[in-house]
Amino acid sequence: MHIVDGALSNPVVIGGAIAAAGGIAVGLKSLDIDRIPTAGVLSASFFVASLIHVPIGPSSVHLILNGLAGLLLGWAAFPALFVGLLLQAVFFGFGGLTVLGVNTFNIAMPAVLAWMIFGRLIGRGSAVHGAIWGGLGGAFAIAATTLFVAVSLALTGDEFLPAAKLVFFAHIPVMVVEAVLTGFAVLLARKVKPELFLKGSSA
Amino acid sequence: MKQLILIVSLICAPLPALAHKVIAGVFPAGDAIEGELGFSNGDMAVGQEVIVFGPDGAELGRTVTDEDGFFLYIPNSPVAHTFTADMGAGHVAKVIMPADEVAEIMGVAAEFVEAPVTVSDISAEGANGGTVASLSDEEREVIAKAVRDEIRPLRREIAAYREKNDMQSILGGIGYIVGLFGFGFYLAARRKMAA
Repeated sequence: MHIVDGALSNPVVIGGAIAAAGGIAVGLKSLDIDRIPTAGVLSASFFVASLIHVPIGPSSVHLILNGLAGLLLGWAAFPALFVGLLLQAVFFGFGGLTVLGVNTFNIAMPAVLAWMIFGRLIGRGSAVHGAIWGGLGGAFAIAATTLFVAVSLALTGDEFLPAAKLVFFAHIPVMVVEAVLTGFAVLLARKVKPELFLKGSSA
Repeated sequence: MKQLILIVSLICAPLPALAHKVIAGVFPAGDAIEGELGFSNGDMAVGQEVIVFGPDGAELGRTVTDEDGFFLYIPNSPVAHTFTADMGAGHVAKVIMPADEVAEIMGVAAEFVEAPVTVSDISAEGANGGTVASLSDEEREVIAKAVRDEIRPLRREIAAYREKNDMQSILGGIGYIVGLFGFGFYLAARRKMAA
């Protein structure tokens, strides 16, 4: 999921950096004092989640949890995921510093999209209903991220369809796992702290 | 139904490793440059084409990795060699061997041509001489190869060790996150106080 240094052409890297900077600016503006702890916790979960590998065949992919971050944070997912990605690049060598912008955009933008589409639905109806929408949002964020990664690679010169298929199918298990995780997280949050989503949907 | 079968077969198909990190290294091996290519989860890149570029960006040659992810390239000019391999899906390996190392390798190759004369001289005049001097070129080659084979697993282990994420870096990262968001808190609180 992390694109590494040197895999992308300069225009893509610069474009990604500008888009990520914009997203972070919007995110920081929307990040009021009540939501800083949420952002911090999700940033830390994202940072650690990448170490949990789901084995598929001879390879493995890791959890991303961007859907959950997006659903809880909205635009504030941008700075939270950026911090996680930055530290992953520094500590684990995932991705790289030059492609940080592209990676941030590829992971945080689907999170924001998931929030835009599913954010309202989660706060409505019964807790179980909300959890199902949450699960869908979690899976959607991963699917959108694979699409974004494939587009980044395609803009650099890789064939779009093979690259997209490869990344997408490799992440189907992650989508399933994240859908379940996000669903349960939403279910729990709806039960113990329902105002989290009511506030989120109005923000 | 057909689509379902297609999807299932695609999932089950051995996809190339999608691990995050590419491990690539080059080192001198006799008169050639030996390199290895693989992923941080231990899968080596098999049959991967490696393209060699000179410092000016001109292509010097190509080579292919064997089933252990190793490749050999015999340099023919003492310039910096850049080895690149595109393993698809955003995984690109790039390693550079500096010019002086390449020159050293080529120096070794040049020595091998002259060496037989001196070695045979020594063994001819002093049959009772030291055993050290009586090593022939072939023997030296064999020893060098044996040593290389012996240290190869070690090299791989070191490479894998370097990629290891230990508890300390995880906790360190979480510490940074806590600190950063604490700082965010401070800024937000100040903004609130001022307002």
